[in-house]
Amino acid sequence: MKAGLDPRTKLYMILIVSAIVMMSATTPLLWTVRIIMTMIPLILLVIEKRYSSAACFTILYALALVLTFRFMSEQNSGILQSLLTGYSGIVVQFLPALITAWYVVRTTKIGEFMSAMQKMYMPDGIAISLAVVMRFFPTIKEEYSSINDAMRMRGISFGGGKVSKMVEYRMIPLLFSCVNIGDELSAAAITRGLGGENKRSSVVRLKLGICDWLLITIFTGALAIFISFKYIL
Amino acid sequence: MSEKIINIDNVSFKYKGSEEGLLSNLSLSISRGETLLLTGGSGSGKTTIIRLINGLIPHYYQGDIEGKVIVAGKDISQTQLYELAGLVGTVFQNPRSQFFSVDTDGEIVFGPENIGLDPDKILERKEDVVSKMHIEKLMGRSLFELSGGEKQSIACASVSALLPEIILLDEPSSNLDQAAMEKLREQIKDWKNEGKTIVISEHRLWYLKDLVDRVIYMENGKVKHEWTGQAFSNMDKKTIEELKLRPLEVKDILSGGCKDNCNCEGGCDITSSDIEDGVILKNFYFSYNKKPYLFKKKKFSFNDKNLELNISKLVLPKNAVIGVVGRNGTGKSTFLKCLCGLEKDCKGYIEVDGKIYKGKDRLKLCYMVMQDVNHQLFTDSVEAEVLLSMKEEDKDKCDMILDKLGILEFKDKHPMALSGGQKQRVAIASAMAADAKLMLFDEPTSGLDYAHMEKVGDMLKKLAKDGNTVLVVTHDQELIENSCQYLLCIDKGRIGYFKKMN
Repeated sequence: MKAGLDPRTKLYMILIVSAIVMMSATTPLLWTVRIIMTMIPLILLVIEKRYSSAACFTILYALALVLTFRFMSEQNSGILQSLLTGYSGIVVQFLPALITAWYVVRTTKIGEFMSAMQKMYMPDGIAISLAVVMRFFPTIKEEYSSINDAMRMRGISFGGGKVSKMVEYRMIPLLFSCVNIGDELSAAAITRGLGGENKRSSVVRLKLGICDWLLITIFTGALAIFISFKYIL
Repeated sequence: MSEKIINIDNVSFKYKGSEEGLLSNLSLSISRGETLLLTGGSGSGKTTIIRLINGLIPHYYQGDIEGKVIVAGKDISQTQLYELAGLVGTVFQNPRSQFFSVDTDGEIVFGPENIGLDPDKILERKEDVVSKMHIEKLMGRSLFELSGGEKQSIACASVSALLPEIILLDEPSSNLDQAAMEKLREQIKDWKNEGKTIVISEHRLWYLKDLVDRVIYMENGKVKHEWTGQAFSNMDKKTIEELKLRPLEVKDILSGGCKDNCNCEGGCDITSSDIEDGVILKNFYFSYNKKPYLFKKKKFSFNDKNLELNISKLVLPKNAVIGVVGRNGTGKSTFLKCLCGLEKDCKGYIEVDGKIYKGKDRLKLCYMVMQDVNHQLFTDSVEAEVLLSMKEEDKDKCDMILDKLGILEFKDKHPMALSGGQKQRVAIASAMAADAKLMLFDEPTSGLDYAHMEKVGDMLKKLAKDGNTVLVVTHDQELIENSCQYLLCIDKGRIGYFKKMN
């Protein structure tokens, strides 16, 4: 099965998941809904053959879940335990949004994304800015890893023991190269007609398929359950 | 010749914030269908001319401009940039920063989409460009995993897809190896046959020989010399040297392996017994593809298939400059990274003067000056940068090193405010401060003109003379001829040949 989901569905998923992580689950039913909603992007990641990231997320989420359920309700004392509970609580609460966002960024081509934005009548300015942000993720990763290499070579990975230096040494070269790349990138893009007055066209033709409608229904249902159980009943 | 398509009339230009003018009273006209080469030293105004034609000046890079630029009947200063998109196409120097998309297909259709063409027509154009350029196997891939040459092919394709009448190339060969440059030559030839007007700004000249119609030599923002293509191709060596141009002829360095009297293991020309006192590298095996099992470290051995690096033993001569060559993507950079210990899973070791350097110790022995030096400058002054590398801060030693490299006057400046060449020297200074005996350079001369290349070459020689072993990964044949005493060719992760230069 090929999960060529429509970018609009993916954006909708992000929206719903972000809304749900903001509401705390209190009853077993809500917890079940939450866990199912986390499983969906994980399964989608597996379908897209992103096995290692799917495995990492699953392990992290499962671990945090077990820790939270094991320790949260009981009387816990001691710094270690409370820290552990705090951290695992945060992970359980917000990881679903991270997984979904990761899935969307990793599997959406920029062309598809732009096309989806146009279909939603999003102004070009917003669409292009968001597309550039997506384009920049791999760039930042590349730059960051070379900077990290350079730091290891100098033996300053840990900033000579100072946390502030550790951050400073990483951020300054990263900012400089991102600014440079961004500058050259926009120069190259406008010579190819970006930002013109004519309406952009797109070769990607989007159509919502069965999978899309299915997911939209599931996610809408989940949101409805959360809202009705938390605020109405 | 026929009608003029580009007319630069008495233009002077100065970038905003800079004191000196870059162009002064420059006039230049280019005929339809002409192929023009702009050459000359760095900062002579070549790139500025390219930017005048594609409208980035004055619309993107601001400054004081006088005079008029007319391209295909349009006054550039009165024309919006997007109106020029279907008319003028530009291939830029840096393959990393000229892509908008992440995937190759999206990149080629990006331009036509911007001007709002009909989707069916765009796809038709894309098919057309792809089959014409024979880049079918590059389609459907991530741009981040392509080699420099492949990236440049995609850049050419995405310019072609807009069907511009005028094509500008701004130092397109900076990051390319010989084979990729040959390919670029073919591409320019095709464009020429289609009747496009082509303007190329370039230092490396050999691949443009017998291809260009006219050559312009710039100096200090003025046209200093002008030749016809033919006169240029027949130019004698002496004139070229006087003008500090890069040569028109290059040797094929990649296929120059050992064919006759090869009597050594692994096909290298120099055996370990040739070098008495050397730096011995042993067991350098590495691969990116092999995935580790959970909690189990990667291990490679000589017999593994598909290794990206497979060198069981290599003896490098001390106090010499050794050029490392090979095609794009053949493992040269991997070799450097493994050598200096940045790839933890490579378990090779280095033996110098009977002392063995393993694992992390390699990081102390080696220092790599990266292709993009910006990545390795961390502090807010040149002096602090050098002191950071020292085990114990020693200001006198720091001054001495800076003086040696000729950058003592910039001691208190911010490294990012320096020019590219000066930054490179700061990186070398910190390598010297760290007492690295093995200095590795990754493409130190990409995008440099002859004069600057010569300077880098001299510096490498000086470093070697001072007791360092210098390894330079490069595509730059002129640098090799200028400064390398030995040449190591890496082919698919193995040693292709290793020979002494005459």
